[in-house]
Amino acid sequence: MNELNDPGVFMHIMEGFLPWQWCLVWWIVALPCLIYGVYQLKKILATNREALPLMGVTGGFIFILSSLKLPSVTGSCSHPTGTGLSTISFGPWITAVVCAIVLLFQSLFLAHGGLSVLGANILSMGIVGPLTGYIFYRLLRNTSVNVYLTVFLVTALADMFTYITTSLELALAYPAETGGSASSLIMFLGVFAVTQIPLSIVEGIVLALVFKYIIALKPDILIRLNIFSEEKINVARSEI
Amino acid sequence: MKFRYTLEILTIIAIATFCAIFLYTSSTISGAEFAGSDNIGSRLVMELSGTPEENFQPLIPQWEPPSTEIESCLFAFQAAVGGILVGGVFGYWTGQNKKA
Repeated sequence: MNELNDPGVFMHIMEGFLPWQWCLVWWIVALPCLIYGVYQLKKILATNREALPLMGVTGGFIFILSSLKLPSVTGSCSHPTGTGLSTISFGPWITAVVCAIVLLFQSLFLAHGGLSVLGANILSMGIVGPLTGYIFYRLLRNTSVNVYLTVFLVTALADMFTYITTSLELALAYPAETGGSASSLIMFLGVFAVTQIPLSIVEGIVLALVFKYIIALKPDILIRLNIFSEEKINVARSEI
Repeated sequence: MKFRYTLEILTIIAIATFCAIFLYTSSTISGAEFAGSDNIGSRLVMELSGTPEENFQPLIPQWEPPSTEIESCLFAFQAAVGGILVGGVFGYWTGQNKKA
């Protein structure tokens, strides 16, 4: 068997590993989010061209981090998602569009994932993960919680929930004989989520550091886009 | 006095700890393949469905890189696109700040 045909070297849910009915369900869920993301993207680019470089940086990190296969403590490898910065800066829907581009590239040229399971993979990496992170960002934005701690938490949670969603998608499609989907969810979480814990912590710290440099170089754009208040940005600048 | 490099130091500590744990576990977990977690996930799918691996055929035919080297090259290309975007924008902002 060609090494590339071995499921061992793939990331994301592989082509052919979800029944077509589930592929359809996840596509139906993901598609409206993507369409809304494209609408938001066009709107923000039409009204605020200054957002484009920040979009380049936040999207760039999704490209970089999702290409890294890193060994984890469980004896297997996984990859960070890099969606935290984009989630904080532009919300989950635009992040879903950027993730869709990355996942499409990996499906077409790397055989990682696939076109039929693209909806499921977009839902986990581009929608549920970032949406969870975004909810935490909105909860923490107007509190006294430090900007860097907010970025760390949002990034780590977006990463973790990506893999929790992947586990859920697989558990629903493949319920265990005893215990059904709940039982297989625990099994899949043991595979995906446990491996991801150390990676999501490191990703959170790295992206908090990146955010420090964005604040140092371009604090005005963060204030203008109302990502954090001027007061919070000034405090963050003086902190470290 | 506030220390300017707290986050940098934290990042270095986190990465160093991560590497140290990896080196320790890779020497202690017998038979650790360090393959993708999706590998183990896929095996679990086969176990749960009772379907042999050859029965999992792509629903939509897809192109596969002919070798792992080419696969690595394409992954590097993806990372390079991201790197160019990040580096380009940081450079652009730095230039703007200097000009101002």
